[in-house]
Amino acid sequence: MPIDCEDQELLEGFLTETTELLEKLDDDLVALEKTPSDTDLLNQIFRSIHTVKGASSFLGFDLLVRVTHKTEDVLNRLRKGELLVTPEIMDVVLEATDLVKTLVADIKGGDIVDREIDETVNKLIPLLTEQVQQPPADPVVEPIAAEVNIEPPPAAAPSAPSEPSAAAGQPTAQPEPPSPTAPLPPAVSAAPAAKKTAPPKPADNKGGDDLSDSSTVRVDVKRLDDLMNQVGELVLERNRMIQLNQDLQGGSSDQILFGEEFGKLTKRMNFVTSELQMQVLKMRMIPVEKVFKKFPRIVRSLSRDLGKEVDLQIFGEETELDRSVVDEIGDPLIHLIRNAMDHGLETPEERLAAGKPRTGTLVLAAVHEGNSIIISIKDDGRGIDTERVGRKAIEKGLITEEQLAAMSQREMFDLIFLPGFSTKDKASDLSGRGVGMDVVKTNIKKLNGLIEIKSEKGLGSEFILRLPLTLAIIQSLLVEVEGEVYSIPLSSVLETLRVDQRQFHVVGGQEVLKLRESVLPLIRLEQVFKVQPAAERDDFCYVVVIGAADKRVGLVVTRLVGQQEVAIKSLGNYLANIPGIAGSTILGDGRVTLIVDPVGMIDSGDNAAAGR
Amino acid sequence: MSNALAPMKLDDVRSGEQGELIQLVSFNLAQEEYGVDVLKVREIIRMPTITRVPNTPHYVEGVINLRGKVIPIINMRKRFCLADAEYDKQTRIMVMDVGGELMGFIVDAVSEVIRISSSEIQPSPAVVSSGIDQECIAGVINQAERLLVLLELEKIFTQDERQLFSNL
Repeated sequence: MPIDCEDQELLEGFLTETTELLEKLDDDLVALEKTPSDTDLLNQIFRSIHTVKGASSFLGFDLLVRVTHKTEDVLNRLRKGELLVTPEIMDVVLEATDLVKTLVADIKGGDIVDREIDETVNKLIPLLTEQVQQPPADPVVEPIAAEVNIEPPPAAAPSAPSEPSAAAGQPTAQPEPPSPTAPLPPAVSAAPAAKKTAPPKPADNKGGDDLSDSSTVRVDVKRLDDLMNQVGELVLERNRMIQLNQDLQGGSSDQILFGEEFGKLTKRMNFVTSELQMQVLKMRMIPVEKVFKKFPRIVRSLSRDLGKEVDLQIFGEETELDRSVVDEIGDPLIHLIRNAMDHGLETPEERLAAGKPRTGTLVLAAVHEGNSIIISIKDDGRGIDTERVGRKAIEKGLITEEQLAAMSQREMFDLIFLPGFSTKDKASDLSGRGVGMDVVKTNIKKLNGLIEIKSEKGLGSEFILRLPLTLAIIQSLLVEVEGEVYSIPLSSVLETLRVDQRQFHVVGGQEVLKLRESVLPLIRLEQVFKVQPAAERDDFCYVVVIGAADKRVGLVVTRLVGQQEVAIKSLGNYLANIPGIAGSTILGDGRVTLIVDPVGMIDSGDNAAAGR
Repeated sequence: MSNALAPMKLDDVRSGEQGELIQLVSFNLAQEEYGVDVLKVREIIRMPTITRVPNTPHYVEGVINLRGKVIPIINMRKRFCLADAEYDKQTRIMVMDVGGELMGFIVDAVSEVIRISSSEIQPSPAVVSSGIDQECIAGVINQAERLLVLLELEKIFTQDERQLFSNL
């Protein structure tokens, strides 16, 4: 049945708002389960569902109304203390939320499917009559039941502006319990607390852009104003430039004066354009919260499935990164979390036996570092057993005994990324096919990211992802290879060295350099790119050490030219897949320079090593 | 460019002769004259600095910066296995639309835009000039003194080559 809605704008508004509310709802529901006494949170959830119900009944989406209405009733009983928050009730509520999502997705798709909703609704109905087994022990429920409007205490102030949209049409605004969530253990409150302080602003503006619909962006008006200011300045500078040129042409300005003025202008232009660039970049930025907020729900259901107790702590979810990156990191993160839950964390019994607290901890953190974002997933589980990993890899025929014997611990960790690798003997629906970590690696590589594993047997593991902030403009290192200039993404460059070529060693036909404690395989760019060698040769050359995902190689170049911020240009369809080339860029003098693909380089290094 | 001429006289001529009127840009390559559909030609430029792209077929000369867009450059002589020649003052790059993508083709010289009727196009004889793949030759135009080889750019790369490009 196609949607019959007169006002398309109204419908779009409804969809945007509902999607937003639902996204937040999942997160809130899981948080509520952890802190059942958080009445503020419960009210917020209630309002969200209520808003969805109101809007859908106004637009005549009957199925939606039925589900949301029942859900609202259940929530209302929870709110009044007639029911207690239990995992069973939450299961049903979450199921209902999922159903609402499906229904909204149908509407979004432009076609209402007559779905079977009775099953879920019927699960909700008994909850409406069920009597609470024990009286609410928590006194904070009292003011809620009475629906008193109490001025929020100052401590809760930051949370207040975060829900104006939901609170607007609501008579029950902000009943704040006098003693809110204070007695909670700090570990549990960490996640909700971070949430409260961080997103008040995002909720109003930039938090609005929707992952599932990335064709539109909502931008903070202030950012837009800033942008306009920058553009205004740019126009002024342009006028100045035209004026200067006219003066020079007309002879009213001599060369020296012109040079001086032009120098100043260049500086200002440089300043304005880099500001402008930052502004535009910022508008493309969305908080990583977009991805992170799915995780509490995933962790919850996984922990129930696996019978493990997990405390998920999320830090730095307000960290912003480019939407192109945000779109790509969801999958790898889910895999890593699953991995940590399934392989990393032990069951409560095992944990107790190992002398650890019963509940495992999973920490998901994001932080900015220079031009990259670092996301780490850390568990306090059993860690990676390198011996077992090595054995499995041999069993599966992925490596040979000799190879294993020659491996460092780091290389052994890397084995888990091999396609087809799994420590599980039998594949479950959760893991064991040996695909997940391969997906992680491929996706991270695609983003020009690095992945690092820290693990200690018995104490837990940490996966550290280092990703570029954006994919459109990158910092790059310009190098010269026998007269040709190439650009290497700086995010992959670990260090540069000036070395005498006589220090190179050849191991099994592969040139290597002894760098401090490790042996670095070398790739000669002039060979890979088949550059005509220049006449004179120097014994000294430069080695650019690059790393991608978990590997490192050294690129041998003739000279380092410098560092420059470059905009990536595609080479078009015909030349899209040249090995070792990621794209191209245009330098200040208008020449095209090719961007080296560090990942491709490292892979080709692998192949060279494998072929020897 | 003379694109503007195209629609103007189309009707007049069409009513006079049978066959559609076609405008061609003619260019030279190793003493031979070739023509391509004028609507495919975006612009004709002089030789800029070309950045070599490694590990590509020998006839891919590299890429250039065309007002902020990076486009690949194909050397027509090399593509058709003709003898190499130095670039001179006459050498031009014809920027053309090939299957929705811009590409530049290096030719010895671009001469003029000519108008012919489609009825003048004859099927290409079995053996045409040395080395040029038959596939991209749409026909031959015999006009008084001159012989013009009509090229179809969509077919300038064979199926195998397209495969190669996408799998490089």
